[in-house]
Amino acid sequence: MSASVCAQTLTDGLMMPKKTLCTGFMYTHDSWTDYWEGELKRDNGNVGKVTTQSLMWMGTYGITSKINLIAMLPYIKTKASMGTLSGMEGVQDLSIGVKYNFFGRKFEKSAFNTFAVLNFSTPLSDYSPDFFPLGLGTQTTNISYRLTAYYKIEQGWFINASAGYTWRSNTTLDRPSYFDGNEFYNSDEVKMPNVFDVFVSMGYIKNGLQAELNYIQSNTLGGGDIRRQDMPFVSNRMNAIRVGATVMYYLPKPKGLAVRGSAAYTVDGRNMGQSQTFMGGLMYTIQFNKNQ
Amino acid sequence: MKTKIHIYILSSILLALISVTSCDKDIEFSEQLTPLTAANLDSDAASWTPILMTSADQIAVPAPTDVNSDAYKAELAAIKDAQSKLTKGQQQIIDYWSGGGVLRWNQIFRGLVARYNLPPAPRADGTYPAPDAENPFSDPMFPFANPPYAARAYSYATNPMYDALKAAWHYKYLYNRPAPYNNDSGIEALMPKSDLPAYPSEEGVMSGAAVEMLKLFFPVSVEEITKHAADQRNAALWSGKATASDIAAGLALGKAVANLYIARARTDGMGAAGGNKAVWEALKLNATSRGDEPWVSLETPPRPPMLPLFGKVLPWKMTTEEIVAIRPPAPPLRGSAEMDAECAEVKYYSDNITRERLAIVHKWADGAGTYTPPGHWNDIAAEHIRDANFSEVRAARAFALLNMTMHNASIACWDTKFFYFNARPSQLIPAIKTSTGVPNFPAYVSGHSTYSASAATMLSYLFPAYASDFQTMATEAAMSRLYGGIHYRKDSEVGLTLGTDVGEHLVNTFAKVDGAD
Repeated sequence: MSASVCAQTLTDGLMMPKKTLCTGFMYTHDSWTDYWEGELKRDNGNVGKVTTQSLMWMGTYGITSKINLIAMLPYIKTKASMGTLSGMEGVQDLSIGVKYNFFGRKFEKSAFNTFAVLNFSTPLSDYSPDFFPLGLGTQTTNISYRLTAYYKIEQGWFINASAGYTWRSNTTLDRPSYFDGNEFYNSDEVKMPNVFDVFVSMGYIKNGLQAELNYIQSNTLGGGDIRRQDMPFVSNRMNAIRVGATVMYYLPKPKGLAVRGSAAYTVDGRNMGQSQTFMGGLMYTIQFNKNQ
Repeated sequence: MKTKIHIYILSSILLALISVTSCDKDIEFSEQLTPLTAANLDSDAASWTPILMTSADQIAVPAPTDVNSDAYKAELAAIKDAQSKLTKGQQQIIDYWSGGGVLRWNQIFRGLVARYNLPPAPRADGTYPAPDAENPFSDPMFPFANPPYAARAYSYATNPMYDALKAAWHYKYLYNRPAPYNNDSGIEALMPKSDLPAYPSEEGVMSGAAVEMLKLFFPVSVEEITKHAADQRNAALWSGKATASDIAAGLALGKAVANLYIARARTDGMGAAGGNKAVWEALKLNATSRGDEPWVSLETPPRPPMLPLFGKVLPWKMTTEEIVAIRPPAPPLRGSAEMDAECAEVKYYSDNITRERLAIVHKWADGAGTYTPPGHWNDIAAEHIRDANFSEVRAARAFALLNMTMHNASIACWDTKFFYFNARPSQLIPAIKTSTGVPNFPAYVSGHSTYSASAATMLSYLFPAYASDFQTMATEAAMSRLYGGIHYRKDSEVGLTLGTDVGEHLVNTFAKVDGAD
């Protein structure tokens, strides 16, 4: 694998070489007008179009060529185009993960690798978990376990599959009781269901170009539906199936600088907006050990 | 080699994380209550002034059979039989209800309000259907338990229980039939023992009153409500506290008292409180005739105002004329220097949401899907009633006084809101964004402020040692509406004054002179 390829995500099958850092910023623009109220698709004139913008720092560092550290920290800003509700902004959750290439086999004209990922994330600011759909997040500490398999042939074509399970801590509201869509609780603490996701991508990666199509399915393993005309709630059963495309290209000059762009669309969901997402960013690769 | 060390470290971290993530995330639904031992049996409760009943013996309860009769002995035998076969599930039901029937029912009322506190969704043509009591199972669900509906429901659920308990106390001390565990040493007391006579059973009374009232207010939940009521009666039986005939007499009494209240509820003006298109149009004149901007709905599509004629609903222990007499003076007009300053202050809070203020806004928001501000004050009261170890009849009195006050506060507040029909801050200044939903009715005066001050006034009478806490909470609840960008300061301040007036009226004309102190 070329040392000039930057590994960016927890779900891909790429690794940074030893003592190499890939870091940069990604800007994301996500918006939706239609959303699923439970399983009923609708729009809502009291929020109109909900836009979430984020600027995320990310970095991947090769402790060894088999073990990478991946960190991310987004700043998020939300806005509704209609109604009176105020948007929110602030630093969200710091995520730190370890990716371990625990198995690899090279064939004559292809290679197969598998990865285990352990990721930890926790809120870095005291944002409210009780302001969906304009809140910044769930205000939970999460621990994810993930397995990924990656197969690539010499011509550059690859296929990647990944499945993850995310444990989420409970979250705390600013109010002493709540109705979660099913039951009424005399507590400020909300039980947060865990999340399971599957990520599949296929594409081409060679000579500084990475292009892929991807499919993501994310299911919350429990939680209530948004009731008719109710507001969403932090522990709702939020499910989504998204399809997208990502392109990353290393510029000939300056060396190590790559541009990355992606788009994704929610084709089906539950208790979530039917969002379209555009991302763009710059990633820079620094090798600390030139002998490598 | 180095990789091996890394793997070792990683697997230790993994193990540590697995142990974290396997911990229990479940949350207890209900309040934790310890078994109730009343600080005082309140044996004179029959002499306390009734609310709607004319006297404690208005409804006849026949004398019970003799404790030496075969029929009664058979009832005792049935309790022993039940106790010998008690399942874990039955023990849990006893434990739940031993925390206090009035407290448990109050908690159930709050849960029902939260469940039904959802506005109807708009139709495709942009109009809104009205929830229909005659057709409660259709869409939209009935009821929409908004704050005035909820305050009225809390009072109608609590008052019959209170009146019926006073009547029960009358017959308890008239007939003096001891509890089964005091009659037969073979019967265990699975709830704290007391010398309160058992006939008619207070659990029977509460379950009968609650079921009849809740069937009227939350008809769709009849199955859940009936189950709670049956559980409460079974808990009394299984725990050795009451026999089948104690419970049956209580149930009949509770239902009979509830029927007096149902007759009142059907004619108290609630049926007309929603108004109609002509009423909604005519309300604009209430603002334009003063030269003010009339309220418009900020929802899309625009929703008719919430219960515009609720101000005419029958209050408790107060007349509509007395409500009108304490109506506050008019709010400042749009365009006046005073209103401009009010708007500027709301805009400031809208533009400067701090985390601390947001927490206050959300703590007191009590909007859709919650037990409403009156429910929040029941929640606050419940802790104090629990800690005071009130007898069931005194606990019912406390909740009845609190909820009558808040029902009156609804009426006084809605009377004021629709008499002036003025605009919310975001209507006058669209740039004012809010950190909670804008309620769909006029601004002046704030409902949260009126409810909170009325509740704080009544709770300060009931629990004087905590008066300053209640005042602090009421003020915070009132200010939360300004911080949230949905009310002018004046709405909150005048609302607090109006709520205090309403609260003091009931404290002075009823609570202090009902014979319970």
